[in-house]
Amino acid sequence: MATAILYHGEPNGPSLSVLAALAESGLDIECRSINLLKGERYTLPGAEQTLASDMAVEGEGPVLLKDGETMSEAVFLAQYFDDAAGSCGLQPKDAYAHWEMMMWCRQTTERLAPAVAYIGNLATSQSVVGAMDEAEFSAIAKSVFSDDLRERWQDLRDNRVDAAKLEDSKTKVAQFVERVEEKLADGREWLMGDFSIADLETFAWLRPMAALEAAAFKGKLRAAAWMERLEQRPCIKAALAHATVDDPSHAFAPGPEINRWG
Amino acid sequence: MADVTLYHWEPNANSGKPMLALMEKGVPFQSHYINMLEFDQHKPEYLAINPQGTIPAMTHGARVLTESTAIMEYVDEEFSGPELMPADAQDRWRIRWWMKFMDQWLGPSFSMIGWSTFVGPMVRQKPKEELEALIERIPLPERRRAWRKAMFGQFGEEELAESKRRVGFGIDRLEEELGKREYVGSDHYSLADINIFNSTYSLPLSHPHFASKERTPNIMRWLKTVYLRPAVQETWKMGKTDLAHRYSLIMEDI
Repeated sequence: MATAILYHGEPNGPSLSVLAALAESGLDIECRSINLLKGERYTLPGAEQTLASDMAVEGEGPVLLKDGETMSEAVFLAQYFDDAAGSCGLQPKDAYAHWEMMMWCRQTTERLAPAVAYIGNLATSQSVVGAMDEAEFSAIAKSVFSDDLRERWQDLRDNRVDAAKLEDSKTKVAQFVERVEEKLADGREWLMGDFSIADLETFAWLRPMAALEAAAFKGKLRAAAWMERLEQRPCIKAALAHATVDDPSHAFAPGPEINRWG
Repeated sequence: MADVTLYHWEPNANSGKPMLALMEKGVPFQSHYINMLEFDQHKPEYLAINPQGTIPAMTHGARVLTESTAIMEYVDEEFSGPELMPADAQDRWRIRWWMKFMDQWLGPSFSMIGWSTFVGPMVRQKPKEELEALIERIPLPERRRAWRKAMFGQFGEEELAESKRRVGFGIDRLEEELGKREYVGSDHYSLADINIFNSTYSLPLSHPHFASKERTPNIMRWLKTVYLRPAVQETWKMGKTDLAHRYSLIMEDI
């Protein structure tokens, strides 16, 4: 593991879940904080094979650099830590329980993550990206490899807001909180019964919504208690300790695209 | 008998993934053909199995499983037979990455083009009122929107152009990948190969300007290697249209 370095943004969204998964795994991997909103993910020293970070479906997420290869996608990095640690309890061993967890995570990355990223970027990062001088923004845009991700950067800078997408994103956040509430209805502590990547991934995306979409959480007592349990879990505390700002839940960079169709 | 039933369409794209994974593992299963072009997947008898109305779906005893890639992972973990995931953690990560890249970024572009040029014109032969009634029966709002576009040919020029861009780009990345490794994501035949083969075997015919012996020799080498696997041959025999037969002729020609 000596050759691996985890480059992460502020502990929010995918960077939060990956940092927490790493802490949970107990693996000894060096962590380095980078500013995702300055495009620092594209200039990592020693990165030779960069397809996975250049074309990450999740957008500007953390990168594990190992043997010159940039590894991306928060859920898969968490699975990688679990595999590399010889199974540290982040994934169920039973095949059906594992299928359930992966289905949940896919819903999270396909529905919740794009919605949160859309809301969060407009609320917290638009003013930063919009205020960059032309030379700085051009340099970042030039370094972004993916055409469609670069377009999301440009939309953010230009404050191009799609009202229907924003409304749909708010609905999806509310629906997801509801799903969490229902999942916990039988009194379970964690989403899949046992603690798993599903808890980390869902919590990491919902955490910044607690303030930005407070109405979605109103009256959702089980979801609130579950979030508090996670807040107190040592791996989350360890992940949050990597923050370099007062409130990392305000740290967003362009994320996954909202489904193009179907 | 493993008590497995698979609800699937042709050995192609999403349906083809669990079909081939089960074949590779040597798991016997009952095949339940769902004719997508007749919208069997939105009929009450199928919605009783999978209320979302998506195919494929698989039952194993009392368990109901959906989502093709997740079903494949279940099949690999649950049943004995050849391992379809390598042991190395970084290889496993890379295989998952490629499957997501296909399922969420590249695949929707393949299917938009396929629906626009193939599925749409086929179903449009039905009366408009019948199509409207069929759309009403679709449970997921996203799928309703997608089918409406396909049925009535409502894809915009811009979105089709973007899909074509992604297909061309994705093929070039796959060509590079297969120049580095024998199979997708590792040097072992795996779920990533099953996943991506099922969406790319038609490329030499459907996108000859992007994929050909001259332009993408690594993809062609890999397509042929996978095509020659006995499990692929067995799976393709389960097709009810001439889709598989037509493509087998292309494969023989590679």
